[in-house]
Amino acid sequence: MFKYVKRYWYYALLAPIFMLGEVIMDLLQPNLLARIIDDGVLGLNNSGVGDINVVINIGLLMIGTVIVGAVSGILSGVFAQLCSQKFANDLRVDSFKRVMNLSFEQTYEFSVGSLITRITNDITQIQNFLGLLIRGFVRTLALFIGGIIFMLMLDISFGLILFCSMPIVIVFIYLFLKKARPQYKKLQENLDKLNSIMQEDVSGARVIKAYVKEKDEVNKFNKASKNLSKIQFFVLKLFSYMNPISNLILNFTIVAVIYVGGINIKLNSGITTGDIMAAITYTSMILNALLRMANLFQVFSRAQVSVARINAVLNCLPVISDGDFCEDTKIKGKIELRNVSFAYPDSPSVNVLENLNLVINPGETIGILGSTGSGKSSLVNLLPRFYDCTKGEVLIDDVNVKEYKLDKLRSKISIALQKSELFSTTIFENITWGREDATLGDVRKAASIAQASDFIEAKKDGYFTMIAEKGMSLSGGQKQRINIARCILKEASIIIFDDSTSALDLKTESLLYKELKKNYSDTTKIIITQRIASIKDANRIVVLDKGVIVGIGTHDELLEKCVIYQEIYNSQLKGGVVHE
Amino acid sequence: MNKEEWITLLDEFKLEYKTNGVLSKESREKLDKYKAIAIEEGYITSKDLNDISKISSVVVNDKINNDKKPLQASFVNRGPRNFVDGEKAVDTKGTINRLFSYFKSEVKLLVFLFISIVLVVLCQVIVPRLQSNAIDYIDDRLFDKLPFALLLMILFFVILSIFNFVQGLLSAKLSQNIVLKMRNDLFKKIINLPISYFDSNSHGDIMSRMTNDVDNVSNTLAQSLGSLFSGVLMILGTVIMMVLTCAPLAALSCIIVILTVLVTKYLSKAMKKFFKRRQALLGRLNGSVEEMVVGHKSVAAFSKEDKVVAEFEEISCELTKAGIIAEILGGSMGPIMNCINNIGFVIIALFGGYFAYKGIISVGVISAFIIYAKQFSRPINEIAQLYGQLQTAIASSERIFAVMDEELEDNSGSIKLDNIEGLIEFKNVDFSYVVGHKVLHDFSLDIYSGHKVALVGATGSGKTTVVNLLMRFYNIQNGSILIDGKNIMDISLDNLRDNLGIVLQDTVLFNDTIRNNLKYANSNISDEEMYKASKECYCDTFIKQLKDGYDTVISEGGSNLSQGQRQLLAICRAFLADPKILILDEATSSVDTRTEKHIQDAMIKLMKNKTSLIIAHRLSTILDADLIVVMDNGRIVEMGNHEELIRKNGKYADLYSRQFAGEGI
Repeated sequence: MFKYVKRYWYYALLAPIFMLGEVIMDLLQPNLLARIIDDGVLGLNNSGVGDINVVINIGLLMIGTVIVGAVSGILSGVFAQLCSQKFANDLRVDSFKRVMNLSFEQTYEFSVGSLITRITNDITQIQNFLGLLIRGFVRTLALFIGGIIFMLMLDISFGLILFCSMPIVIVFIYLFLKKARPQYKKLQENLDKLNSIMQEDVSGARVIKAYVKEKDEVNKFNKASKNLSKIQFFVLKLFSYMNPISNLILNFTIVAVIYVGGINIKLNSGITTGDIMAAITYTSMILNALLRMANLFQVFSRAQVSVARINAVLNCLPVISDGDFCEDTKIKGKIELRNVSFAYPDSPSVNVLENLNLVINPGETIGILGSTGSGKSSLVNLLPRFYDCTKGEVLIDDVNVKEYKLDKLRSKISIALQKSELFSTTIFENITWGREDATLGDVRKAASIAQASDFIEAKKDGYFTMIAEKGMSLSGGQKQRINIARCILKEASIIIFDDSTSALDLKTESLLYKELKKNYSDTTKIIITQRIASIKDANRIVVLDKGVIVGIGTHDELLEKCVIYQEIYNSQLKGGVVHE
Repeated sequence: MNKEEWITLLDEFKLEYKTNGVLSKESREKLDKYKAIAIEEGYITSKDLNDISKISSVVVNDKINNDKKPLQASFVNRGPRNFVDGEKAVDTKGTINRLFSYFKSEVKLLVFLFISIVLVVLCQVIVPRLQSNAIDYIDDRLFDKLPFALLLMILFFVILSIFNFVQGLLSAKLSQNIVLKMRNDLFKKIINLPISYFDSNSHGDIMSRMTNDVDNVSNTLAQSLGSLFSGVLMILGTVIMMVLTCAPLAALSCIIVILTVLVTKYLSKAMKKFFKRRQALLGRLNGSVEEMVVGHKSVAAFSKEDKVVAEFEEISCELTKAGIIAEILGGSMGPIMNCINNIGFVIIALFGGYFAYKGIISVGVISAFIIYAKQFSRPINEIAQLYGQLQTAIASSERIFAVMDEELEDNSGSIKLDNIEGLIEFKNVDFSYVVGHKVLHDFSLDIYSGHKVALVGATGSGKTTVVNLLMRFYNIQNGSILIDGKNIMDISLDNLRDNLGIVLQDTVLFNDTIRNNLKYANSNISDEEMYKASKECYCDTFIKQLKDGYDTVISEGGSNLSQGQRQLLAICRAFLADPKILILDEATSSVDTRTEKHIQDAMIKLMKNKTSLIIAHRLSTILDADLIVVMDNGRIVEMGNHEELIRKNGKYADLYSRQFAGEGI
């Protein structure tokens, strides 16, 4: 974290210097006032005869200090902002970059929501704190120390009063912070709980209504709402104690200053009326500085948490690292699995894939079939190295995937994911996401193969229609077709459909496959599906069950010898007659 | 124009932009024309479009994402609650009146609050006078009177602190009471709104109203109301005391007021633009972070990390630039106010000194005035800031009240059905979500009690709409729907839905234990019944494999379960509800076919003597249905059982052959 601040050390240095300027000017004021009163009005050094010239001269001097103070204050703000904002910008960009390069297992470990909060909220939190640290901390500290020095310069007895009241304030602040700090965590927890109920109920409104559970949900919400209010009230109550009590201490100190000052004057010990008035001003400065410091500590502890959260991201090295290989291979579109086993990092003892061996040749169309949890998606996740296999090796075009530069490897493979993620920009840009230099003509062609051109062109803005809120304006099938268009436009030598046509009706799906076959005959195609019909005509079908290949072959071969395939086939046909 | 020409043309425009920093009006028009051609001809690339939008923009787009509200309070930074970024309310007066109606039940608190504020202000106004007296006693060497004067001060300080405390406590209580009420009212309202509201408003927006807007109102109520009242009182009281103490000096002190007002007005005007821009950029940045982190897999699959980071960096840098200007302007407020306060100090010192020299006032008066000046300028600063906050709060309350004014679900029906037969009749039903765009035309269908009826048809043929209407998620516009001969509009809504069970395509499970999710319909269901149903729905095995079994908490978004497992749980939940009529809307789409078959077998058992309505893409699911209804564009095109329809060799036969004969790959 420190190295980011170091880049802007000159700003970080200039800001406090100018801040000091402002504070010193502020500190001078009461002193100057004392001189106006003592020398100008009361004429204490001139045997009781005041001097109007002193009043005017010092008055002008005061105006001078005011202006210098204001200018320094503004400049200090400028530098503090330059430092903290540039610092936050660097931090933000670096964190985002790191997040984008994390491996999936790491992304899920952090959780997507938490990563978003880190990049947005936590960095803002740190930025604010840095700004506050550079200015506020220096300011309060300077006011505090300067105030004490000036006060001692007035008279040592004032200092004694301060040394009596300051410990009381410090102990009080300490106790307050100790009580208040744990509440913030509780507050956040309760707020999160309430938010999660809201989120759930808004997105699950249909279910709630279908089960006639509105009243129960309202009760649940009211309970959480009440808990939140209780804690909020508690925190506010703490603050209602804090202010009056600290003010009371401050005010008692002022009374003590006047009293001691009065006694001193009575004893003629050299203290003047002006001194008393200056001392009153300094007292409130010093004690206010203390209170503000308490505030700063609170911000500090919050920023500390944020710093730790950001550091966790920045220090997290991607598990999957780049290889060196980035040459073109002679063969294009070959896949080979050698004794591949795989377990997800969060449950390393459960093998999702067990000792797989498979060679897929360029241009082949492979169907992968299997029940939920049989390892189909895990298998294709290994090809673009979303995950690394735990045993064995995966080769693409006869090169181990771990040797490739990731960009190179992933440029060979185009995958349409099960959950189609669209971005809130135009349909055009969503489709060209995979290949930036693609022309509109290319896009039209891809869309037409993906059976998406009809509904896209029916829209008023056609391909330049904005996709709102992650595609909420589109149906599931439409999203999938855009997703497929994006996938095939990339022109990779291997195309993978990871159950990406599940929301399409059968007619559309079969048209899509027909077009795909016609236009991408040289491309290796891997189709993961649950419907036998989708892959019936594939060159080979791989049947997976519990992470093991239980059958490879054409539809007819499998129908003959693979029991599980037969079971699936029967379940989809209900053992009935195939109508042809 | 061919492709090469287009590329050269675009380069020329880019060059012009680079040299002049902006395109001339003619160039922009020309570019628009060529762009249209390039789009028509299909030359244009995404990069071109990016470049064009960059070089042809006249001013940096300010409107971006202005309408996109941050998603969740806990997720997204709300930006500074600065007095310059207040939203404008439309009907300020009406909203304030409604807001005040919330205070009506809190009159007692309110009265006590105001009393304590008055006492606090009174003390604060009197104390400087006492201090001034004390100092004058010292100055005049009347030391006998000093202890009494100081005791008086202490007395007032104590009273001040006590009522300060009471004030803080009461205003906290008040704001919490009102916020609690408002939040609960709003939630109760929202949960009882018709489904059409949830379908037509973005969830982010609904959330934002419940969190951000309620927060805005609560913060304003907590902080502003009290300080507004005490501020006004304080200014009044201080002015009176100042005039009473020394009128000329009081008049001079007013210069501070004028200065403060002027500076605030001018500065906030200057800042408004920058803060607005920063807010817009912040929204864009947060939106982009969310999208890219959520879509991380797509980013990686297409190796777009570098591009995405570069784009992010661009927004981030822009935000920083805007932020620096905005914050510098905003931050200069402090030193400038400090400067004005110091000027006040100087005025008092200078003129007070002069007056004291002339013997018009005593030295103690100067000390009193120093405090008065402080007491006086603080509420002015505060009120200046409050103004913007109040505006935001009123705009927020307006958004809250807009929800409150939404029409509730029509629940005028009063008939209660017990032990229904399960006979459903659709009679000439027409329906459109958007006026003029019919999705169901003259839909008539009789479903006999105990029958299994399947709806098939392409996406958009109106299958789900039928379900929406039966559940009364939407109300029909023409025709009628009857259950057991009773119009569903006359049946009480709760009773209707109690009799209907539904499993939806998008599985919604709650962030609770599996047990509680399964028993969602009725928490009195015994564990034995639950285990039995769970076994029959093929949930039991995988639930038992989870670490905490039935007490496993389903995580938000349900990432610890697969989509198929979630669907199985939802089906089990519906079975446990034991409705007379069961609706399955694509309920098994993510379950593999073998498991699906098992579920079907279970269903046949469970649905004996019950009416079921099934929507499915997979025809295998519905082969044994008593009646298959084929829909196309909102109309029924074919009806019959599987054999009949196959024999007919119409649309159903066509669909069927495609699925199984496979025109696949």
